[in-house]
Amino acid sequence: MDNLFIEGTKQTPEVKFEANTGILEIKGRSIPENTFEFFNPVLLWLEEYSKAPVEKTIVKVNLEYFNTSSSKYILEIFKRVKTVFTDGHNVLVEWYYEEDDEEMMETGEDYEDVSGLPFELISVEED
Amino acid sequence: MAKQSIYHRESDFLEKSKEFLKKKSYSREELQLEYKQLLENYEELIDQVKIITKISDRLQNKLNKTNDKLELTNDQLNDTNIKLNETIDALTEAKIGRRAGTIVMFVVITLFIVSEVWIEPIIDANIDNTWVGLGLKLVVAILIKPGEDLTNKYMLKQARKKQLKEAKQKE
Repeated sequence: MDNLFIEGTKQTPEVKFEANTGILEIKGRSIPENTFEFFNPVLLWLEEYSKAPVEKTIVKVNLEYFNTSSSKYILEIFKRVKTVFTDGHNVLVEWYYEEDDEEMMETGEDYEDVSGLPFELISVEED
Repeated sequence: MAKQSIYHRESDFLEKSKEFLKKKSYSREELQLEYKQLLENYEELIDQVKIITKISDRLQNKLNKTNDKLELTNDQLNDTNIKLNETIDALTEAKIGRRAGTIVMFVVITLFIVSEVWIEPIIDANIDNTWVGLGLKLVVAILIKPGEDLTNKYMLKQARKKQLKEAKQKE
């Protein structure tokens, strides 16, 4: 299956999903004007991927800010990834946040609780 | 339209339940199953609402903090800008003051030469009083300071007009 690459903009995050390595990366800022239009291809790709995933899937999330509707779609992404996990494959979510960004760290903890996926919260230095 | 909505899955469940209600008769098992599904979906929706609200509030807080930081930076920038303008004004005034002093000095020297070369001989030839020549020089000397102030004021006014014009052109 093809990889998915969406270039990041000021309003949308960069999406780099590689089917052959199982590394799914999403980073930047997510405040799209039309969240459905942006996230639908991402969810469709994940649906396909979940049918034949690689042994270990790593989801790397490094978001600076996202709006409410994006938070719903991020939840949907984790739900799709959860099906891979419940099917017996290795899954790890790496949740990156800037070291003084308490809000983003706690948001990662919330997603960890609600998704039931193994999370690793990783603090990174500010740019 | 519902298909393109962020909650299209939840809307689909709701439509399905509405359709179920339209049925004329239900078996107990059918009712139980439908109710169970409705409860599960409702529970999931509540969980989603809880988490999304929590995250949204938290990120709003982050946005507020960023706004506060921006406001502070903006205030600091404004203060620096004011100080910078004050320094530029002081520098301009000093520069103009020096130029005005030079101009006035040049005028005074010219007047002194004119008085020594042309006016003094005329006075000496026509008026038999040394105080007249001295008085004339005294008047020139007394006018040095006001002359310098006037020149300074005029040049500053011109410089400010020029600055305003340049600022307007930049806008």
